Amino acid sequence: MSLIERARAASAGADMPTGTTAPAQAAPSWRISRPRRTRKSTPLDIATVVVVALIVLAAAIGPLIAPDVHSSHIADALLPPSAGHWFGTDQQGRDVFWRVVVGARESLTAGVIIVIGYSLLGLVIASLTIVGPRWFRELVTRFIDLGLAFPSLVFALGVAAALGPSLATACVALIVTGWPLTARLLQGIMKEVVTSPFVEGARVLGVSRTRLIVRHVLPNSLPVLWVKWAGDIGNTVLVLGALSFVGAGAQPPSAEWGAMVSSAQSIVSHAWWAALFPGLAIAVTTAAFGLLGDLLHLRSNPADGKGR
Amino acid sequence: MIARVTPVLFLVARKLVGALLTLFFLATVVFFLTKLTPGDEARVVAGPDASPAEVEAVRDRLGLSGTLLQQYLNYLGRLVHGDLGTATSSQGSVSSAVLGVLPGTTQLVVVALLITVTVAVPLAVRSAVRSSGAGDGLRRVLVIVAAGMPTFWLAIMLQNLIASDWHVLPISGDVAVGIRIPTITGFTLVDALLGGSPVAFWDVAAHLVLPAIVLAIPFIGQLFRILRAELMRVLHRDHITVALAAGVSPPGVLWRNAIPQIVNPALLILGAEFGGMFGGAILVESVFGRNGLGAYMTNALAQKDTASVLGGVLAVGVIVVATSLVVDTVQIIRDPRVRAEQLGARG
Repeated sequence: MSLIERARAASAGADMPTGTTAPAQAAPSWRISRPRRTRKSTPLDIATVVVVALIVLAAAIGPLIAPDVHSSHIADALLPPSAGHWFGTDQQGRDVFWRVVVGARESLTAGVIIVIGYSLLGLVIASLTIVGPRWFRELVTRFIDLGLAFPSLVFALGVAAALGPSLATACVALIVTGWPLTARLLQGIMKEVVTSPFVEGARVLGVSRTRLIVRHVLPNSLPVLWVKWAGDIGNTVLVLGALSFVGAGAQPPSAEWGAMVSSAQSIVSHAWWAALFPGLAIAVTTAAFGLLGDLLHLRSNPADGKGR
Repeated sequence: MIARVTPVLFLVARKLVGALLTLFFLATVVFFLTKLTPGDEARVVAGPDASPAEVEAVRDRLGLSGTLLQQYLNYLGRLVHGDLGTATSSQGSVSSAVLGVLPGTTQLVVVALLITVTVAVPLAVRSAVRSSGAGDGLRRVLVIVAAGMPTFWLAIMLQNLIASDWHVLPISGDVAVGIRIPTITGFTLVDALLGGSPVAFWDVAAHLVLPAIVLAIPFIGQLFRILRAELMRVLHRDHITVALAAGVSPPGVLWRNAIPQIVNPALLILGAEFGGMFGGAILVESVFGRNGLGAYMTNALAQKDTASVLGGVLAVGVIVVATSLVVDTVQIIRDPRVRAEQLGARG
């Protein structure tokens, strides 16, 4: 993996190992078992897992136990945080705490769908770089370069503008802009796997090209993605929030966190809580999932623990 | 001399061709995005009261008549001449509007990039040299929190706290009401200086500080993380060990043997961050009410003016491609290894 890719990887928030080549992550399973060198859990690791679990819990059962968060109670508008309303209330008297909890489902579900979507897209595009004639493969590589170089938020804004702003189009926009890093990562690994002895051997034995890719290359290339996903979900929640904030994503009555910050922007000078907590939810989610990704990466590559 | 210059020219020329190809790709993608937009663009531009003949005239003028292929070629032809189309909301030229707002954003991005370098580089060097494992967890958390900070939210919170509550810095806008800046370059900082008014310069700078810091924060986290890892990798190489064993002073080794090795990686990352910052600038500008590409694009989005939004997308694309071309060229001139690698792997 070249440096510029690591740079892009980092600016996309994914945490790439330095000094190790990517295929090392896809640990060959034929290796004779060695005692596993596991890393001791630190308090930080435990905190990370607990916070992520709480966020997932909020997304799973929040909407089931929350009171109605969409209808307004003007009499209760703009109350500061108190025992009755932990995060205060917004300009329509809606409880900010419960809206943040309910918003977790929208943000996380969208995040997961987007990450799965662009991973599949990246997989298809990466596969194209190992099939077909040389000029075609180079064209696809150039296409991935373009995707990597482009600030995805700007492009997603363009897509959302073309399709009309809504949460669904924001998801589409982030899927069609999110794939390049996955594609580049998979491209490197697939190239490595394709030229590895066991694949060469299978080819010599007359295994068809399709079967080779489906049965041998893919199963050996995909494991890197699981580790990457945690950090990706956090980042997607962040970018989705940003899109909603500028009006290209979830629209106002929604409790999506970016949309909540957006509608609280005008009242922030006298009701800071309405903007603080949803934004904090985004920051905490992004950081927690980022740390989880880091943790998973260290677990699967203990040697990378140094030099980070 | 010829042997040295020719590969450089060859490689730079090849990068240039690649950059043009990339722009062509981008233009194609954007063209198909305009085709995805629901509704009839010519109808919208012509206005609700236009007769069918008028709509057709507008369609011809916008290059929207004929087959898809004709429209596509039309579109590319206009792009080559720097014509980004007509804004559906204002009927004005998208190109001149984008050119008008671009200096404001570029200025913000350049200042934010300077802040990023000033903060991240010393921290990364210090942290790589004194890496002991102590405070490791805290450092990781800080870096990840900074890199994953929702810029738009941070902008609102700091604007409210520092500008509204403490009255330390101006709340929003580019310059205080009543201060006039001549329009010479479009970069307000430069123009204020050229206008010869220190008051105007300081006012523009004060308006710029908070947005630039907010924009810089995620990028500081990224640059720090990568530079630190790169430097630590270099510090573990044999030639460093040899130099230290031979008795060269550690600061001497650091500055003469280690730091020069991370200049190229740093340039690559800064190139990528420069492009990425135009994305962040959109958010920051809209919070701080600054004149720039961000405000232009978000306003256009609110008015369903797809042509203007996509014009902004293309402008950012040109900037990103140009930046990466510059960075590549510097690398090719600076580093013989890059030349050798690229001449070897014909790609």
